[in-house]
Amino acid sequence: MSQVLIQAGTKLLNALGRHSDLIMHAYINGAINESDYSRKVLDQLVQLGVLWRPDPQSPLRLKNAVRTLLEGSLQDDRNRTINTNITASLASLRTLAEHYKEALHYNRFNEAHAHIGDLTEHVYQLTESLSNSVRVLFSRINNEFGYVSSVEAKIRENELAQGQVSDLLQQLESFHFDELSELAGSNRELRHLLVVALQQSFASAAQELSVVQARLLDLLGRFREFQGRTRLLKGFILHMEQQPDFTPSNYGNLSQVPVLFNQAENMLGVASADVNQVEHESEYQQIVASLTDIYRRKADDEVSPRTQEIEVTAQGSVILEKDPIHEAVDAFFCDVIDSGQPKSALEYYTQQDLTFDQEVWIYQVIGGYQALDDNDKAFFALDPSGQVDRIFSGNFYINDVTLGLR
Amino acid sequence: MMSEQGRILSALLKGCFVCQVSDEEGWRFLKNRENADKLEPHLNVLNRTLASTGEGEVFFAAYLTIGDEERKVLAQQFQETASALVPLVEWLLLVQQASESDLPVTLGNALRLNELQSVIEDTPAYAEQLEKISRYRLFNSSSMNLDGQLKQVFKRLTDLGYLIKPNNEKQIYLVTGKVEHLYEMIKFIDETESLSLSEQAEAAVQQGSLI
Repeated sequence: MSQVLIQAGTKLLNALGRHSDLIMHAYINGAINESDYSRKVLDQLVQLGVLWRPDPQSPLRLKNAVRTLLEGSLQDDRNRTINTNITASLASLRTLAEHYKEALHYNRFNEAHAHIGDLTEHVYQLTESLSNSVRVLFSRINNEFGYVSSVEAKIRENELAQGQVSDLLQQLESFHFDELSELAGSNRELRHLLVVALQQSFASAAQELSVVQARLLDLLGRFREFQGRTRLLKGFILHMEQQPDFTPSNYGNLSQVPVLFNQAENMLGVASADVNQVEHESEYQQIVASLTDIYRRKADDEVSPRTQEIEVTAQGSVILEKDPIHEAVDAFFCDVIDSGQPKSALEYYTQQDLTFDQEVWIYQVIGGYQALDDNDKAFFALDPSGQVDRIFSGNFYINDVTLGLR
Repeated sequence: MMSEQGRILSALLKGCFVCQVSDEEGWRFLKNRENADKLEPHLNVLNRTLASTGEGEVFFAAYLTIGDEERKVLAQQFQETASALVPLVEWLLLVQQASESDLPVTLGNALRLNELQSVIEDTPAYAEQLEKISRYRLFNSSSMNLDGQLKQVFKRLTDLGYLIKPNNEKQIYLVTGKVEHLYEMIKFIDETESLSLSEQAEAAVQQGSLI
């Protein structure tokens, strides 16, 4: 038996593959132009139940089962029918479950196996058709009924879809899970099929349908608004054609000006540059630097300026000379290095008969020492000598400094 | 650098319509009640107040109190609006009919000049209509060819603030909230003058005089 079935099925599928051109043509155009194909092929396909003739005058068409298969696999938008006959499917499920339970009861396991196979097929068919219905609705919403062009047609399509949603919801109400679970009893397999699988698909379908319904209402509102706007515009043009001299009364003169016509005028001008603003100096400079159009004062042709004599002389040179006191300090440091003995600044002062003010001299020596960099400073030691103030203990008067080598 | 608040304030004072398309950040700012309340005193100092149109999606500055000076401005503004209504409405209808979907032009729509142009070129009735529209004083085109007329119309609409061109190199325009304002104005005129425009349009369709 099964061998025969398999052979017949393979034959059918082969025929579908061989004549795929013809079938797709029929799918797209709806009917077949019989003169294009050989009589034999057409007869074969009719025999296989792929094509059929609704009535003697009409051309051959695709069978609905083949069409549904193609629509389902190709995710075609044109598939707008929704199978809402859930009640019938549920009734057949119930019957099959009873068969199964009876077969089990009388230990007819072969029969029971066949029944559970059938039942599984039916349950999955039902869940698939549910999810398929929701998917079809969604695809239609997603392109906002793009397959029809006018807003009126969209509104009609929307209303059809809403009808289908409410049908589906009504059908979903015929799921009575308490009855189903009673029917499944304690049988694990039945319970899995009738309660778990169905409940899952029921829940997701119900949830998605509510989303679909909300979106549909939303879209309908938008379409109605579009329709209203189009009418408004067309009506306005018509009115202007009939009464070309129509002008609305000036609403600006009403005591209460409507907000729509109360539009304040532009009041902002550009600001000017403030050249006294120091912060902006660099920006101004950049602006000036990037000016491409430079205004040059036109040369006065009539009164040409008199030529002037230019004197060319050598430019005075600047001599960089060190202050004598600096040189003296340098000499003092060199003297200390040469002699290798510590020497007081004032001692050196009297020795060399220097003429600077003594205090200035001492300051300069301290300054010269401090001005050395850290490396050089490490070679010298500077020791101030003097006395502490008699009253204010923190003050120290320096009389002289002694410079030595470390 | 100006703060966000300052930027939006100055946009309003310049007479701009702030909507999601023309200035999304500003629009978000104004959508927030608190922010809008912060701007209000600044506007009030200058005798302006924040007003919205198009179901609260478009913001602009309106006069707070209307004296003689303001009335003069508004009256003149209204004259301009009233004279611009017919060209604008005809343009809206042309674009709607020429676009594939036959949906009215609304806030956020993208208008592709090239697509529009090819449809109009292929349909003599649209080309004629465009020529008529472009000759209105509002658009003021003197171009003889369709391409120039269409470009001029779109350029003027961009100047007037009905469209913006987000990318200078591409001929794609976005519809701003000012179009919504236009619809509201027509609706208002319809109601105040009791013109019953929708009914007229419907009656015309039923009589078969399609426009």
